[in-house]
Amino acid sequence: MRIVVCIKQVPSTNKVQLHPETNTIIRDGRQSVTNPFDTYAIEEAVRVKEAVGGEVIALSMGIPETERLLRDAESRGVDRAVLLSDRNFAGADTLATSYTLSLGIRELFPVDLILCGKMAVDGDTAQIGPELAEQLGIPHVTDVSEIDSITETAIECKKETDHGYQHLKVKLPALLTVIKDINMPRMPSIKGVLDSQTAPFERKDAEKLDADFQRIGLTGSPTQVVKTFIPERMSEAVEIVGEAEEQAKKARNIINEVLKDGGVEY
Amino acid sequence: MSQSLIRPMTEEYEEFLRDESRTSGKAESISFPNGENDIKKIVDELRREAVPITLQGARTGLAAGAVPSQGHIMNMSRMDRVTGMRKDQQNQFYIRVQPGVILSQLRKKIELKSFEHKGWSQECQKAYADFCDAPEQFFSPDPTEASATLGGMVACNASGARSYRYGSIRPYVTSLRVVLTGGEVLEIRRGEIKAKGRDLTLVTEQRDSLKISLPRYQMPDTKNASGYYVEDNMDAIDLFIGSDGTLGIISEIEIRLLKMPSVVWGVTCFFQQEQAVLDYVAEIRRSLTEIASMEYFDGDALEILRQQKKKGHTFAQLPDIDEKMQAAAYLELHVGTEEEALDHLEKIEAIMDKTGGDAQHTWVARVDVDRDRLLFFRHAIPESVNMLIDERKKQFPGITKLGTDMAVPDKHLHRIVSTYRASLKRQGLQSAVWGHIGDNHLHVNLLPRNEKEYETGKKIYAEWAKEVTALGGAVSAEHGVGKLKAHFLQVMYGEQAIEEMRELKKQFDPDGMLGQGNLFAFQSKGGGNS
Repeated sequence: MRIVVCIKQVPSTNKVQLHPETNTIIRDGRQSVTNPFDTYAIEEAVRVKEAVGGEVIALSMGIPETERLLRDAESRGVDRAVLLSDRNFAGADTLATSYTLSLGIRELFPVDLILCGKMAVDGDTAQIGPELAEQLGIPHVTDVSEIDSITETAIECKKETDHGYQHLKVKLPALLTVIKDINMPRMPSIKGVLDSQTAPFERKDAEKLDADFQRIGLTGSPTQVVKTFIPERMSEAVEIVGEAEEQAKKARNIINEVLKDGGVEY
Repeated sequence: MSQSLIRPMTEEYEEFLRDESRTSGKAESISFPNGENDIKKIVDELRREAVPITLQGARTGLAAGAVPSQGHIMNMSRMDRVTGMRKDQQNQFYIRVQPGVILSQLRKKIELKSFEHKGWSQECQKAYADFCDAPEQFFSPDPTEASATLGGMVACNASGARSYRYGSIRPYVTSLRVVLTGGEVLEIRRGEIKAKGRDLTLVTEQRDSLKISLPRYQMPDTKNASGYYVEDNMDAIDLFIGSDGTLGIISEIEIRLLKMPSVVWGVTCFFQQEQAVLDYVAEIRRSLTEIASMEYFDGDALEILRQQKKKGHTFAQLPDIDEKMQAAAYLELHVGTEEEALDHLEKIEAIMDKTGGDAQHTWVARVDVDRDRLLFFRHAIPESVNMLIDERKKQFPGITKLGTDMAVPDKHLHRIVSTYRASLKRQGLQSAVWGHIGDNHLHVNLLPRNEKEYETGKKIYAEWAKEVTALGGAVSAEHGVGKLKAHFLQVMYGEQAIEEMRELKKQFDPDGMLGQGNLFAFQSKGGGNS
């Protein structure tokens, strides 16, 4: 069985700290990391391989530095890695990204199973998985929390929904996006880390993929990010300290304020 | 005015009679000062009757130093502000904190470079702006319990895993403000006041001159948090670090930060025998220099984790541990480049091969999420042991966990471990061993199943204290002596030295008000013999 797992490089933290003098964002100098949801996809891919045999290929579209994360996936049991990297891919929205990834996957055909994280923690769109399946013309299941069984031709899995869960059976090849409940990712061993330094790794650009330049990068992106902003916090936690009487008074004041702001009058 | 600061003990404050040592005490009143002025007012009030004062931080200590025996509890948790920042000419950063600042919160602020800096002086603001532009910094002391306060850490000279490379909190404390029971205040900056031989002169802010003669005993040449720190020509600040809340009340602390190494990797290696780990540690110590910490977990500790994991809940996120594995060692590499780190991994692999391990059975944590899992793993062991003992206490309320905190010189590691194993086997006691093996500092935790075993445990603990002392070690290497280890301090130093410690305390706290029962018994004016 050939399994492809898609990974994305994301910033190590989503907290933004402003410089006290210049009011600009402080770059913390930390290396970016594998999107947390993708680490579960990597683990699940390796578990499926261990159960039924075959190979796992990690795939990413990103800057050359992403090689470090692909090699990290190889230290955790992935057999080989492919990085799609080209200046022309820059500025891609989910449509252009899923098109590009689909080209990378077509080059790996025949592929039986594609695993993705539920979403990336920087963009939060959760669109790549389903769009990639559509680009490839295969079925997909999102928010998978368990793979029940897998054969050469079909996979049964459990999908979490807002109101419970569903057990679904789909024909292979198929694409699943996974959530954190699905497993507990392993840690690489010393041997894994050392071997990953020389594990098979390929870099492919737009020309190598024979990409349609109208469909990649900024040019191929019908959606544009016009503005980004930090959402205002809607909830707030306040610690009330002091003597019981003092605390009661403070609690009363807070309740009064909330009632006033909420337009409730007594 | 101070009457409102000093509150009578009521049921509401019951939790303040206990700490993480799981022992409980008594007190008549409690206070939560908001600043140094509050401390002075409270002390002035209590001095009239020479009321004993027990100082508290987050009560995470394991030696009952914060458990009151009588009198007053002064809890520092409301003094939790970071009051300033400074940069020196070598571009090192220093942070000033009140004693109630919690370590985990301070770490977060340092990591995110996010400090509440309104109200700081212009000089501090400038240092903060430079700090934001500087490479990532860190504060090296890392006790397993990160909810400890900085004041508590200074009081017991706390250290943690990384002390193998960076030492305890001591060298990172660069300035202290200390309120004495007489109401005077000392401000001591590292490097400014040195003893002449064993004679020390301190001048308070009120211009009183204190001529102190220091005890004459020699300290062991190991990691140590047992009794007052004294040596010839010592820095005055070192006397207060590790003094267990018995000399003065710390009202402000300045700490020094270090530049974070570019690459921090954690490596856990599993072995099938304890002996193999001891050989592995000795070999690592000989051949690798860039190691920040070296930790040990024995087979019993691993088994406790396996059982916890089966129960699920929070512990379900623990990684699986192979059933065959009976011991593990954790190393933390702090190096400049990934190439160096990979080179270290190759050497560790070779040393594992040589000492009977297998590099397949290892975990390498290179990213935060994996490092956090290893930290969780480390923290889960003492937490699980405490849960186990709490369960047994329901049937036998008299028992507690008996955790040792002793260190020996490098050459005696194998010997002390065989001493521990022989006693445990002879008495048939359940135990779990973990701790800072790089410093030959293992926490042997005796887990009594009933009161009889508890008494047996106390006896073998006392035997070990004698053995450790004979090997030139320390009876408390990081938890401090507090009340639970006071009798071992006597084993370690002898009665003469304890008498000298009492004399030293008398010079700062003549009425014996502070930290009654900590370190040694003291005839105090306000509350009899502790």
